[in-house]
Amino acid sequence: MAEFEPQIIAFCCNWCTYAAADLAGTSRVHYPPNVKIVRVMCSGMVNPIYVLKAFESGADGVLVAGCNLVDCYYLDGPVKCDAMFAILKKLVHILGLEDERLRREMISASEGVVFARVVEEMVEGLKKLGPAPFKVKKGAVV
Amino acid sequence: MMALIPSKEVVDVVLEAGGEPLKLCYQCGLCTATCPWNLVRSFSIRGMVHQSQLGLVDFESEDIWLCATCNTCVKRCPRGVEIIDIMRALRKVIVEMGVAKVPDALRLSAKNVSVTGNPLAELQEKRADWAKDLDVKPFIEGTELLYFPCCYPAYEPKEKGIARATVGILNEARVDFGILGVKESCCGDLVRKSGNETIFRRLAESNIKAFTENGVKRILVSSPHCYNTFKNEYPDFGGNFEVIHSTQYLLELVKEHRIEFAKELNKRVVYSDPCYLGRHNDIYDEPREVLQSIPGLELVELPDFREEALCCGGGGGRIWMETKKGERFCDLRLEQAIELGAEVLAVACPICMCMFKDSQLTVDKGESIEVKDVTELVHEAI
Amino acid sequence: MEGRRIGVYVCHCGLNIAGTVDVEEVAKYAATLPSVVVSRDYHYMCSDPGQALIKDDIKECGINRVVVASCSPRMHELTFRNACQDGGLNPYLLEHTNIREHCSWVHEDKAAATEKAKALVRAAVKRVYYHEPLEVKEAPVNPNVLVVGGGIAGMQAALDIANGEHQVYLVEREPSIGGHMIQLDRTFPTLDCSECILTPKMAEVGHHPFIELLAYSEVEEVSGSIGQFKVKVRKKARYIDESKCVGCGVCEEKCPWKVPSEFEMGLAMRKAIYIPFAQAIPNVVTIDKDLCVYIQSGGKKCGACIKFCEANAVTPETLLNQSDQIVELEVGSIIVATGYDQFDPSVVPQYGYKKYDNVLTGLEFERITCAAGPTGGKILLKDGTEPENVAIIHCVGSRDQNYHEYCSRVCCMYGLKYAYLIKELTGADVYEFYIDMRCFGEGFEEFYKRISEEGIKFIRGKVAKVTDVAITEEEKGKLIVVAEDTLLGSMVRVPVDMVILCAALESRSDADKVASLFGLNRRADGFFLARHVKLDPVATPTDGIFIAGCCEAPRDIPDTVAQAEAAAAKALSLISKGKITLEAAVATVDEAQCQGCGRCEEICTFHAPKVISKNGVMVSTINETLCKGCGACAVACPTGAISIRHFTQEEILAQVGALIEV
Repeated sequence: MAEFEPQIIAFCCNWCTYAAADLAGTSRVHYPPNVKIVRVMCSGMVNPIYVLKAFESGADGVLVAGCNLVDCYYLDGPVKCDAMFAILKKLVHILGLEDERLRREMISASEGVVFARVVEEMVEGLKKLGPAPFKVKKGAVV
Repeated sequence: MMALIPSKEVVDVVLEAGGEPLKLCYQCGLCTATCPWNLVRSFSIRGMVHQSQLGLVDFESEDIWLCATCNTCVKRCPRGVEIIDIMRALRKVIVEMGVAKVPDALRLSAKNVSVTGNPLAELQEKRADWAKDLDVKPFIEGTELLYFPCCYPAYEPKEKGIARATVGILNEARVDFGILGVKESCCGDLVRKSGNETIFRRLAESNIKAFTENGVKRILVSSPHCYNTFKNEYPDFGGNFEVIHSTQYLLELVKEHRIEFAKELNKRVVYSDPCYLGRHNDIYDEPREVLQSIPGLELVELPDFREEALCCGGGGGRIWMETKKGERFCDLRLEQAIELGAEVLAVACPICMCMFKDSQLTVDKGESIEVKDVTELVHEAI
Repeated sequence: MEGRRIGVYVCHCGLNIAGTVDVEEVAKYAATLPSVVVSRDYHYMCSDPGQALIKDDIKECGINRVVVASCSPRMHELTFRNACQDGGLNPYLLEHTNIREHCSWVHEDKAAATEKAKALVRAAVKRVYYHEPLEVKEAPVNPNVLVVGGGIAGMQAALDIANGEHQVYLVEREPSIGGHMIQLDRTFPTLDCSECILTPKMAEVGHHPFIELLAYSEVEEVSGSIGQFKVKVRKKARYIDESKCVGCGVCEEKCPWKVPSEFEMGLAMRKAIYIPFAQAIPNVVTIDKDLCVYIQSGGKKCGACIKFCEANAVTPETLLNQSDQIVELEVGSIIVATGYDQFDPSVVPQYGYKKYDNVLTGLEFERITCAAGPTGGKILLKDGTEPENVAIIHCVGSRDQNYHEYCSRVCCMYGLKYAYLIKELTGADVYEFYIDMRCFGEGFEEFYKRISEEGIKFIRGKVAKVTDVAITEEEKGKLIVVAEDTLLGSMVRVPVDMVILCAALESRSDADKVASLFGLNRRADGFFLARHVKLDPVATPTDGIFIAGCCEAPRDIPDTVAQAEAAAAKALSLISKGKITLEAAVATVDEAQCQGCGRCEEICTFHAPKVISKNGVMVSTINETLCKGCGACAVACPTGAISIRHFTQEEILAQVGALIEV
């Protein structure tokens, strides 16, 4: 059987973390292809529903990443994101998902390497953790 | 010229012992300039912090043992450096790692506290003897207030008056209180500040256990050192009690008319702020208000008072050590009081009382002034 | 949702993408997705022929939604939006997905990279399905500018804009413009006289045909947004007829009532009717209502000013019946230059300020050395004699977490300037008590060197106290400055006659009110926060409102002037464009779902949502000129009434749901 390849959806803010992922690309910093990025304007724009939808549609892990407070294009988006994230953590816990499946990072536009490292760490961690418990298997009878 | 090879090991040891705040110091020297030691001799606390930053500490230096933890420098430090924690860390390294000699007097007192539960090497069984002839109940579950007298008023003949006056007032006000007597030990402040963290922890744990097992909720203390330790340090070890200093409680009783003054005390009184009541806990007004409520009493102020008050020199374990004549802060303080023409030097701390009573013996005209605790003055007037 | 015709374009980017991702397979795969009518791959989509593919397909295949899978949208989204627009399609009907930076450049496994690219394209197709055309709106910019604060920053900004022949309203709360700079004697490091360089500027402001000076006035209300602010200004009553007053000063001479002069830092007196200083602009008198006995007695007592005013500017009518006026202004942008307060050193009791006569603050010393000041420029002690020795204490209230943690930036330099002046004027010994000398600006280090040549004594140590309690003969009758000389490692007691406290610059005591008036944010230290500390230093969270000078942080005159000019340039660039383009992807409210709870108002940093009553129902409305489209309100909205255009829930959920193939 092939090794389990976790699926990660990353919500990245346009100004910092999305740009950091761009920088990882231009600097050819390699990381596993398990992550797919959704571009949002601000990490504070990430509605908990989006994260739940990601898990529902088969993600094994979700990353919410945006600016550091000092870099924020919208001044205090990260504060709002943190508030949302605290609620989200509880929700995810109630759903029976492990804490490690949901990660919050602040990655500035200059930190392409950090972005790649975070993805690597998540992939490693999720490989150990295995598929998300309520992931619907391909072809499974629901 | 000194080869500057910072010793990372020494820095690490000091940091680990609790000297973390030293990293913040930017060497402005305000600590040295506010330190009372520089009134009597030269002592650069800044220099010592700098040595610690670089790991070039001279552990043999007697300067390490000077700090009386009066908190003057900490209060004014522009970077908020907890200088007392640094001094405590340096002493801890010496005491617990044996990198240099601990002064004999300190070693002996610490040993006494460790063995007998008090620095005076008195027997634990006799801890409640001061109250023998008084109407004092042992503390039992449900008693409203625990009175914790501190080792000095409990054992030291010159200081028993503090505990006895407290009891007199409490009984007068019909307060439901009790004492733990032999079940309690020294609060541990002085041993901790002089570097004996292990002994302190043992004392803290044993007192917390005694308080908890007996259902203590509210503690009345005579000593600001006990006050500070119970209130600000015991919570780190799981002991959370409501702590109240005698001067605070006295003011409460006066304001609620639970005690009434029957006599006039026509005396000129000067009050000396204890460091652990004032600078450590910002209690400046209560003792003054209590004194001013005594009929006939005239309250005057020393040249430096409240935040600026000069330390008696007994904190941080200094009370156990010999301080050379000419270098005793308590002598300076007593002289100032005498110069003001005060008849009574009022204190609110057993350590201060001990220091000042010693000074009376050596200072010129020392006997012309009485040294009394605020509690004793109140007791005299009711 | 009928009639979606999607075109997908997969870029090779030479081998940049095609080297790792099988672009042909991706394009083939995309063609199988629902609603996709065209799917192509091309070598360089950003090239003209690449863009032409899109334009042609819009016309020929009738595609009405476009997905481009290529590089980062941060690079070429605009290119492809323009291509759509040129082809006759609304630019917001494009979805640009990144298969280069986020795929081909960071992955090595070709199969896996191709699968990921397919997933990204699939998600983009799902998302573009919900894209709606958006209208890029524009709003006109009123070319008038309001400048708040008539110190050097406000004056400079006002002049720059007015010299471009645009109307400026300059509001100053004091009777005269000039600010703190006009109180200064000399300016470091050049030592030119502050008055000499400033008064011509003040006169220029006073006479400028494009500047309307509203002195002795305060802004009361600001509404509207960038391009179209409405401002109410309270013009305080001076109780005189300004059009008649010639500033002759006779009334001032005759007025018998005195109080300490604010301008002279209390070191001299002023009258109840007064001109704060000789070169005041406007040069008219002001009456201190609380002090004027005529006004206080309801016209029964005094009246000396009325009697002696030949111009008939002061009359019983002006004194008893004049009241404040509200002036309404319409402006397109606002520059806030409200300056600083000097830290009050009496909160550091150890320094003896207000306890000892000869302990002075910096601003007091400025007045003393000023030739037009209370001592006629002579450095004198309170008893009228010259000091023989002076201590200058640095960092009073700054670099100290008990007061202000920040470095106040100007004190080292003005401290050196004082040393120079004292040496020059009295020959007294000068001691500078410093912690670190910070002489970073142009000519500053040279100035430090020059002052060192004067034989100033520098003592490195923060002063613990200033006392008059002498312990030796030499100390008697002196002020003794106590510190550790940290370089010697020993305590020093320096007896001096005069102590000057280099007090910090701090934010104005009413900065909170000003902040809420103009929608500014404040830092922890109380100063106003710039939009971006490094890259947008004069903009604020509120578009069209700029900050300049010491209201933003302590700074010296050259930096203040530069910042004022920067703020003026920002305002001028708005005027020059004449209109503003509004962000199209902003919040919108579904009024049917909105409960008017106000959560959106609370969370928005830019004050864009406002709950108003519409036909008796409370609903939120978004001011699109203020909204930046960050989306915080949409997350906070408990009913889901708010969505962000181009980032709607439908769009994002569709995209997220399609990223993983199950």
